[in-house]
Amino acid sequence: MRLKRPLVLAVTLLGACKPPTPEEQMDSIKSWLATSEMVAEGWLRHTNPDKYSRQTLELSHETLVQISTDLLSSLPPAVDSAALDSVLASSRGHIDQMARLIAAKNSPDFRRQLDSLRADEKTVEQLSNGMPKQ
Amino acid sequence: MKKILQITLGIVTSVGGFLEIGSVTTAMQAGASFGYQLLWAVLLGTLCLIFLVEMSGRLAAVSKHTIVEATRERFGFPFFFIVLIGMALVSFLVLVAELGGIGLALQILTGVGFPWWAIPVSFVVWVMMWKGTFSLIENGASMLGLVTISFVVAAFKLHPDWGTAAHGLLPTFPDDKKANYWFIAVSILGASISPYLMYFYSSGAIEDEWDETYIPINRIIAGIGMSFGGFLSMAVLIVAALVFHPKGIDVEKFEQASLLMTTALPKWGFTLFALSMLFACFGAALEISLSIAYFFAQGFGWNWSEDLTPSKDARFCLTYTVIIMAAAIPLLFGVDPIKVTIISMALTAVALPLAIAPFLFLMNDPIYLGEHRNGWLSNTVVTIVILLSFVVAIIAIPLEIIGS
Repeated sequence: MRLKRPLVLAVTLLGACKPPTPEEQMDSIKSWLATSEMVAEGWLRHTNPDKYSRQTLELSHETLVQISTDLLSSLPPAVDSAALDSVLASSRGHIDQMARLIAAKNSPDFRRQLDSLRADEKTVEQLSNGMPKQ
Repeated sequence: MKKILQITLGIVTSVGGFLEIGSVTTAMQAGASFGYQLLWAVLLGTLCLIFLVEMSGRLAAVSKHTIVEATRERFGFPFFFIVLIGMALVSFLVLVAELGGIGLALQILTGVGFPWWAIPVSFVVWVMMWKGTFSLIENGASMLGLVTISFVVAAFKLHPDWGTAAHGLLPTFPDDKKANYWFIAVSILGASISPYLMYFYSSGAIEDEWDETYIPINRIIAGIGMSFGGFLSMAVLIVAALVFHPKGIDVEKFEQASLLMTTALPKWGFTLFALSMLFACFGAALEISLSIAYFFAQGFGWNWSEDLTPSKDARFCLTYTVIIMAAAIPLLFGVDPIKVTIISMALTAVALPLAIAPFLFLMNDPIYLGEHRNGWLSNTVVTIVILLSFVVAIIAIPLEIIGS
């Protein structure tokens, strides 16, 4: 009996834990896209080591895959989910490519991928501005 | 001349030993998410810490008791045991975070994942404890920690608008992410007012055989050393506010944090950040391991001194050996040190009254302090900050859990 009350409280609290809102997920996506851009700029300026840059781009890619999947399944109808899906897939592709290009030390191609990523970031920002505030 | 040297060394070690994974992570998250808006929390935490550290040294110098010994003697074993359990649990979590911080610093320097560093790092910390003396731990580790001054250099190189930054020293309410704002504020307070620092400082004063002539020295070291330390935390927050906040980067992982100084110091920023974390966490890991061992040994009446050989204080040495080994286990399984840090800092804020309330009673007890009892100012500042931290923690932590 003594244990029952704390147990009920714990279960209620756990039940109350809700997953992040689409707005929070979008913020997280923008944060990881900006992280990838900063890592890439750093690699081009030789301020970050190769291994760290590659591993962080891989981590960004992995995290973006996970958040994108969650976000697309919970998007409000007001958002163009096909456009968002497409731009997120494109961004992940650029990040993945950049991680590979570090190993090849191919700066010109890397720079092109970075420019495309920047363009995608702008599109994500526009789509995010169209999201209803909660 | 000797006293001037002691004061200088005391200030230098306070500055070098101030930052650790908790203060860096919370300040960085605050700057990244809310710009300068949470500078007040760092200021408040530092102010409270100055009073608490001064009080810890004064108690030891006047009464020749550490905080733990006096708490056990004055309040009896049953109450002391509750404090012991609470503080040991919170300090243990902080130790896990610090060992993880060393591992993360080595991870970004070498590319080898932090779980692989859990055993080697714990072993090095243990060897330092086993072989080292108190002054080596206190001064040696803190001297290495002086590399954290690079955060101040980075802040100045980014040319912040000091006027706007100064506005952050006054508490304001956030426009959105309210639960997250207060949760980070509480975590900053928990990171600044770490009880282990008080236990370490009062035990150190006994190890160094302080007497009443050290009261002025203690006041200068606590005041100037901790103020400069607080300024380091503010520098971290300012750099994060200038680098991460405009880009919308929320610091969730250490890999993101590693970029903190690359804008201000392109050539050395990355390495300096890694070394700062490495040395700051290493110093903190030694101090926390020692504090936990002090807590048990002083509370149970065992022999204790970092300057004794292990055969002379076997149970004291066994305590830190077990604690360090146990702290490595969660890291081996890949538990994220940043998450442990944030949780442990918030829990520290909740546990603060448990550590500080009996300490305040002691500091007002004429049997222990005589004419050197607390004045109204220190009682008021410490009581207000601790109550504030506790109340905000009780409200913000459930909100943060429910919110995300």
